[in-house]
Amino acid sequence: MSDVADATTPITSRHDPRYEVVMYRHVGIDGAWTLDYYRGHGGYASARKALTTMTPAQVIDEVKASKLRGRGGAGFPTGVKWSFMPPVDGRQRLLVVNADESEPGSFKDRYIMEDDPHQLIEGIIIGCYAIQATKAFIYIRGEYGLGYRRLVQAVEEARAAGILGKNALGSDVEVDITVHRGAGAYICGEETALMNSLEGLRGNPRLKPPFPAQAGVYGLPTTINNVTTMTSVVHIIERGADWFASMGTEDSKGTKLYQISGTVVRPGVYELPMGATFRELIYDLAGGPKGEAKGFFPGGSSTPPFPWRDEFLDMPMDYGTLANSGSMLGTGGVIVIPKEKDIVDAMYNVVRFYAHESCGKCTPCREGISTWLPKMYQKLLAGLGTREDLDLMEDMVRNTRGTAFCPLADACAMPVQASFKWFRDEYEYLVDHGTPMYTKNDWWEA
Amino acid sequence: MVELETVPPFFADKQELLDEILGRYPEYGRRSAVMPLLREVQHAERYVSEARLAEIGEIVGMHATEVKGVMSFYSEYHGEPVGTYHLQVCSTLSCSLAGSDELYDYLVEKLGIVNGEVDAEGRFSLQKVECLGSCGSGPVIQVNDTYYERVSRSRCDALIEALSRDEVPEPWRARGGDNEGADKADFLMHTVAAGEGETR
Amino acid sequence: MKVTINDVSMDFAPGTSVIDAVFAAGYDVPYFCSQEYMSPIGACRMCLARVGAPRKDREGNWILDEETGEPKIFYFPNMMATCTTQVMEGMVVDTLSDDVKRVQNGMVEFTLINHPLDCPVCDKGGACELQDRAYEYGTGESRFVFDKRHQEKHHPLSEVITLDRERCIHCKRCVRYFEEVPGDGVLDFIERGGHTYIGTLEDGLPSNFTGNITDICPVGALLDTTSRFRGRNWEYDHTRSTGMDDAGGSAIVIDARTGRIERIKGALNPEVNKTWIDDGTRFGHEYVDADDRLRSPLVRKDGELVPATWEEAAQVVRDRLGGLSGKDIGIALRADATLEEGVAAKALAEALGTGQLDHAPRPAASVVPQQAPATLTDLATADAIFVVGDVTEEVPIADLRIKDALKGVTPPEMMAHGVPIADLRLKEHPVFHRERLSVAAPYRVDLMKHAGRTASYPAGGEAALFAALQAIAEAQDAKAEDAEAAAVQLDDGQRAALGMSLADAEALVRGLREADNAVVVIGGFVLATRAAAAAAATFAKAVGAKQLILGPMANSYGLELLHVGPSHDRYAYPGMLEGARALILSNLDPAQDPDVRATLEQKDFLVVHDLFLTETAKIADVVLPARSVYERDGTTVNLEGRFLPLQAAPVDAGESEDFVGVVGALGDALGQRLEGRSVRSARRVLRKRFELDPAELGPSGELYRPKGRPAPRVSIRSDEAVGGNVLVTPSMLRVEYLERNPHLLALSGGSRLRVNPADAAQHGLGDGEAVSLRVGGVVRRARVRLDAGVPAGLMLLPTLPEQPVGLAHADLATLTRDERELEVAG
Repeated sequence: MSDVADATTPITSRHDPRYEVVMYRHVGIDGAWTLDYYRGHGGYASARKALTTMTPAQVIDEVKASKLRGRGGAGFPTGVKWSFMPPVDGRQRLLVVNADESEPGSFKDRYIMEDDPHQLIEGIIIGCYAIQATKAFIYIRGEYGLGYRRLVQAVEEARAAGILGKNALGSDVEVDITVHRGAGAYICGEETALMNSLEGLRGNPRLKPPFPAQAGVYGLPTTINNVTTMTSVVHIIERGADWFASMGTEDSKGTKLYQISGTVVRPGVYELPMGATFRELIYDLAGGPKGEAKGFFPGGSSTPPFPWRDEFLDMPMDYGTLANSGSMLGTGGVIVIPKEKDIVDAMYNVVRFYAHESCGKCTPCREGISTWLPKMYQKLLAGLGTREDLDLMEDMVRNTRGTAFCPLADACAMPVQASFKWFRDEYEYLVDHGTPMYTKNDWWEA
Repeated sequence: MVELETVPPFFADKQELLDEILGRYPEYGRRSAVMPLLREVQHAERYVSEARLAEIGEIVGMHATEVKGVMSFYSEYHGEPVGTYHLQVCSTLSCSLAGSDELYDYLVEKLGIVNGEVDAEGRFSLQKVECLGSCGSGPVIQVNDTYYERVSRSRCDALIEALSRDEVPEPWRARGGDNEGADKADFLMHTVAAGEGETR
Repeated sequence: MKVTINDVSMDFAPGTSVIDAVFAAGYDVPYFCSQEYMSPIGACRMCLARVGAPRKDREGNWILDEETGEPKIFYFPNMMATCTTQVMEGMVVDTLSDDVKRVQNGMVEFTLINHPLDCPVCDKGGACELQDRAYEYGTGESRFVFDKRHQEKHHPLSEVITLDRERCIHCKRCVRYFEEVPGDGVLDFIERGGHTYIGTLEDGLPSNFTGNITDICPVGALLDTTSRFRGRNWEYDHTRSTGMDDAGGSAIVIDARTGRIERIKGALNPEVNKTWIDDGTRFGHEYVDADDRLRSPLVRKDGELVPATWEEAAQVVRDRLGGLSGKDIGIALRADATLEEGVAAKALAEALGTGQLDHAPRPAASVVPQQAPATLTDLATADAIFVVGDVTEEVPIADLRIKDALKGVTPPEMMAHGVPIADLRLKEHPVFHRERLSVAAPYRVDLMKHAGRTASYPAGGEAALFAALQAIAEAQDAKAEDAEAAAVQLDDGQRAALGMSLADAEALVRGLREADNAVVVIGGFVLATRAAAAAAATFAKAVGAKQLILGPMANSYGLELLHVGPSHDRYAYPGMLEGARALILSNLDPAQDPDVRATLEQKDFLVVHDLFLTETAKIADVVLPARSVYERDGTTVNLEGRFLPLQAAPVDAGESEDFVGVVGALGDALGQRLEGRSVRSARRVLRKRFELDPAELGPSGELYRPKGRPAPRVSIRSDEAVGGNVLVTPSMLRVEYLERNPHLLALSGGSRLRVNPADAAQHGLGDGEAVSLRVGGVVRRARVRLDAGVPAGLMLLPTLPEQPVGLAHADLATLTRDERELEVAG
């Protein structure tokens, strides 16, 4: 295993004295995925603390006090979610970790699972204890082969060391983990589709209610959390809710793993307090755009993109600000779009992704997103579009908004609508001239 | 006459593996094993035949139709054999901005096959796939179960040449961001009071 | 809960879906995926509406609208699928605004972009939900200019169902149906997204209830192959009647066109079959239109049967019976005759002065239990069920109602607009609580797939099985009274009789007695001997279970109630074949047994009333053309004791008459006005006899529950010695008509002789071979099917009216390869 450092000098938040790296402290270090390494660096102290000095209710209260919000995209307060679990009634209770990280522009969970799987296991032990579940599933996307192998290895190590099992960490608390590997379906990141997939059904989303806490996987009380939600918990328990809540903004506390990709000098994952600005991430840490940029997706390809303007670049990256701006924080995966990438081409790429990943269950998504919309983009890009086609696209996309069974259709429709809002001139140029405004088509360097 | 099954069951001589996989799930969740079982077959045979679908259905208590419904839902299982080296090129936005479209075209030219095809020897197959979660380190080729990241022209050439000799190179990993060079830094976990220093 | 739908405010029970509230209020929303009796899934998005509800503040008070002072309505940010949304107190639903209309237009447009719009050549045209809804809720134009998705248009899912993949709108009704109703996941979505299509890997959809998907498909994607391209919906005469292939009494619709039955569909009877029917009932009608159907009476002249008028035939009958005394004459009806035909037969017997009257097949034991039988609703809501027999083949609808019980959702309350469209208690991918079901049979039966406990007892051992279970029940009683009492002790014979472990049997008995609603389902194998039936009744009583008795034919229950039986044991059907000098047989063909044929040839006079020139008709003196079950008006009584109406479909059947018509004609010839000379006159008798009016039966029929104990049955057949090397099994498909039902013949592969592979090897039989064999005298032709589920030393053969369910002796020396190949597919 060799890390190949590119020519660019790494300047990251790890090297930026303003920030402390917490969840990513072991990421990138050879051998950090072993139990020896993890324990040698204070690992499992937090879980031991929870299991030996706190009650489950105290753990939930601590997480509530930290104001941690789910890191999977929706930003639901984690402690509140945990308290939705019904009273203990003898039924098996389950914790499911959503590691089906599939949103384009998101890749934060991957490196934790590859390089620091024990951190996730520790978070799971704490989470299971809090909700009084004895069994956890990690649903990892199928393509993450290395992450899967490292997780399985880590679970086996932890089991052998008595960290997992009937008496986790020597306590009387039982926790066991099954790592379940997906097989290539973005929709399985949606929690109800994930549950179906885990049960061996097709990965179509299912109805809510019942909510997972009432009747989740196998009809049992289930809590579903994102990978970095669980790893955040490790540090909240270790260092206290106050420490976590001291970082961030009014409605978004703690640190978050932001990702940046697209045309920037140093793409990657950066751990920053919530509320850092896009400008900090893009310029200070990622080294700024390569060439001229014209816009960016703020939190993965399903979040409506912004044009490259100061008002957006200086926006703090937290849940509330983004929601009020007409977009979303999502997974915090920024994608920088260079000026020379024609927006129609870029959006066709995004639309094609959602078209490919639509599950086909409901009509607007199957016929609108998965069938019709990509055909419209193909027509435009073939130089055959008209101004009427643009109106049609906007109207048709409007019909997919808020009408589909699950958020996937919106995840496609909203960025498309934003692209019309901010970059309609490029669409119009294309239909008027039959060629895109920007024609650069070689992005492969060296 | 009833057709006699001529292919021996895949899991017939793999009881231990089967028990391990089934043991991951509770008895009432036996059906959950369908995905790992499909993966075992896909991994070993490079596709999942109808006979295997029926066999898996038998094991987990599903009809073969339902197993096919599950299998065909996911992009990593295949109904037709893929090559010994199944090259999956991510084509989603971030990779596209890192040159994945050109990389794909280059592979098409180099291998003489397009998306969904297997070469004559059965060595290479090519698939354009959607986001692999390597957005900060694109373009990426997933060869079977392994990522090769930041694939430049020279790396691409080297990869294909090595695989042509049945040599599988060490994967190139690139993490980018916070983790680049982490193991070289001696200031891990140092703490600096938040707010010290101002951005620009 | 008070809900306002547009301008109508109504109260609804909690849990009601908004779509049902909308319909109950007299408004309409379009929908494709929802379907009565199946889980709502919210997939088609057609039923979207704007929905709002008031909210409470932290103190629990309604948040008020400042202007009106009324609770403020907070609308959901998105349009809601009304099929998957529950009503809430104070909810407001808008289905009429422009916003809603825009979304409905949009959904219709999406639904149609890949639909071929080939309505002019589509069988569903005129009865198509998509066509109607597109007309009502679409804009009438499409903005989709690209090629539509091209897929297979004539894909045979099985011999009886054709799939047009282009027409499919992915509502998932068919997939959900298989998973939720029969519990056979033989059809599923394949691929995903815009590439999703319906497909199967199970060759020919192995389920006994496949045809229902053609009823529920909202478009022309799934069609009944037997009627494909046969007519347009508006050309069909739709006749609601009752299925007569078994004792279930399922409601059906007979679609006929220009005098020919084109198809049978399921109809709604919430108490009986909901809307489902089995494939035998649905596809088993083609024989009615067979070329060799008798269309006029035949009279033997100079040794030849020649066409005659009804008057001529009746004259001959009158003249030839004239010289005989009553005791010389026997009359027998097949047990799917209507009550009205039964009344007519009784009147005729009385007029002729004979006590030799019977219906057949009639098992040794009564099909009318002493206590009121369980209803199908009892069965569907039972928490413990014990089946002895092959219920799926005997009364297929009972199989589906048992599965209702396993799902554990009680039947829905009817609403103003009928059955709720979206019953939110029903969930996709339901759990079948197998532990509620135990099934015992001498061989592997289909329902065992769904049973938590199964038993394979030795064929013919039904009495011993129940006796052993009874012993367990008594031992448990003793234990309950005295903890010191000995544990259950069974001898080896009793243990063998159980066909399951003692622990299983004990759990079974305990489960039945501890259940709130236990039902014991008693099949034909039990009814074959009175000892077994009595043991079963005793056991059911001991564990506090209701009985559901599976009579052999559609109206076995009714004909027994009506006492269409002999005045003396030896006058019963088998006896009269021997003893009577003249016989009038309706739809019975005893001459399939060459020995019986020889006897019949010696009779003074033989009248056969049948659809075809059967073996018996060939040697008859007078042959009268009979109406099929689809061509009769009348009344039948199903296994619950439910009176159900039959209505004649307009079928061109020549001069055919039912037995009422036969008696009318004979009465005219005899110069007597017999009761039962017409349906009207027969019903006068029935009204008096049963105190209900067969002409006024409600849509669900009427349960007959006489006060006090029912009268004992008229006569009983003595038990024959139990034994044999062939087990005659119940059959959903009517074997007597199978060769005239080409589609069912192809689907089933014909009549099957099921043989254990080891036995087959010993007899030199190969799978698929056509053989002929005398079983209990009757010459049977069948195809060998190797089946490891058949016990060694036993062969299984489906029943005929002349070959009742139970053990029979076959002379293996008569086993020959059949020269005349049966027409089977493949």
